[in-house]
Amino acid sequence: MRVKVRFFARFRELLGTDIITEPAVGTTFASLVSDIAKKKKEGYDAIFDDNGTFREFVILMRNGKRVETSDAGSVAVADGDEIAVFPPVAGG
Amino acid sequence: MLSERERERYKRQILLFGEDGQERLKRSHIFIAGAGGLGSPVSIYLAVAGVGEITIVDMDSVDQSNLNRQILHTDRDVGKKKTVSAIEKLQELNSDITVNAIDTTITADNVHELVGRADGIVDAMDNYPIRYLLNRVALEQKIPFFHGGIRGFYGQATTIIPGRTPCLECIFPKAPPKEVFPVVGATTGVIGTVQATEVIKYLTKQGEPLAGRLFIWDGLVSKAEEIAVEKNPACPACGAGSPGEKNAVMKREANKSAAEKKRVEKRAGKKR
Repeated sequence: MRVKVRFFARFRELLGTDIITEPAVGTTFASLVSDIAKKKKEGYDAIFDDNGTFREFVILMRNGKRVETSDAGSVAVADGDEIAVFPPVAGG
Repeated sequence: MLSERERERYKRQILLFGEDGQERLKRSHIFIAGAGGLGSPVSIYLAVAGVGEITIVDMDSVDQSNLNRQILHTDRDVGKKKTVSAIEKLQELNSDITVNAIDTTITADNVHELVGRADGIVDAMDNYPIRYLLNRVALEQKIPFFHGGIRGFYGQATTIIPGRTPCLECIFPKAPPKEVFPVVGATTGVIGTVQATEVIKYLTKQGEPLAGRLFIWDGLVSKAEEIAVEKNPACPACGAGSPGEKNAVMKREANKSAAEKKRVEKRAGKKR
C-alpha cells in the first residue's frame, strides 16, 4: 500500500515533504512518522520527545481529519492515506 | 454618509462593494492586537481602506531589529513606543479615520475593556497564551477572530467565526515552545494582507471567508495550500460545557429575557 506523508513549516525544512511510503499492513501512524523522521535527528527531535512520543503541540491529520497524537500509536494507516504533520507557528 | 473627499479617496474600492460597503467600513471598529510584523500590514491596509475606528495595542518600544518586517516603524522611531509610532503613521495614511493606540500588555484582567465593542479582533500577536485569551473574548462577544502566525518563510491564517467555525483552541490546542523566531518581512506581508483582506470582506459582506480552513503559505517553494479544520466537541474554549459556551448560553438567556421584558413594557406602554 501507498501512503503519502506531508510535513509543514519547520518539519518540512528538516525532513522534506510529500514523502511516498509503502508501509506494511498494520503500520501505525506513530511508527510511520517516526521511521521517516529518524532519518534526520534534528527532524525527529522537533516532532518527538525523549520518550519517543509526539510533542504535545504537533498536529496530525489523516485525509484532512484530525488524529489525536495520543491515538497515533494505535491507529493503523490505510492504502491511499495522506498524512499531514505540522506545528502551529507563533510569530507575528 | 460619506463626504465628497471620502467618495474620491475610496473611489476604486467603491467600484467593488459600493458606497454601502464603504459606509459599513466607516461604521466599523476593529481591534488589532499587536503593532509588530503582522500588525503593521494589517493596520496599514485597514487604515487606507477606511475602517472608521482602529484600536491597536502594543507594549513594546521600537527596536532596530524590528525594522526588517515592522513597516509601521522606521529608523527614526527606534526607541519610541510602538503605539506612538503606529498612530503617527496610520493618521498620516488616513486622517479621516479614528485610531486609538494603547500602550499596554494584554492580560485577562484588561482584555474585555480593551476590546470593548469592537466588531472584530485581529490576531497580530507573537505568542499563543494571548492568542488563546483573545480567542475566548471573540467567542464570548460573538465577533470574528482573524488569526495569523508566521515563522521564517512560512505562515498560516484562518478566520474564526464563533458558532460557525472551529476556534483557535480547536485547531491548535497546545502552544508550540517559545523561541526567537526567524522571519523575513515579506512573510508577515503575505499573512498580514490575507488577514486584512478577510476583515474587509467580512465588514463589506463580500466573498467567502477563510472559515473552517487553515490557509498555509510556504514562501520557500511559493505554494499556498489549505487544510480543512474541524470543531473539537470537547474543546475547552468553545465545546459544549466550556466556560465560554456556558457564558454564551447565559448571555443568550439574559438577552432573551431582556428582550422579552422590553416587549412586555412596550405592550404595556401601548395599552396606556
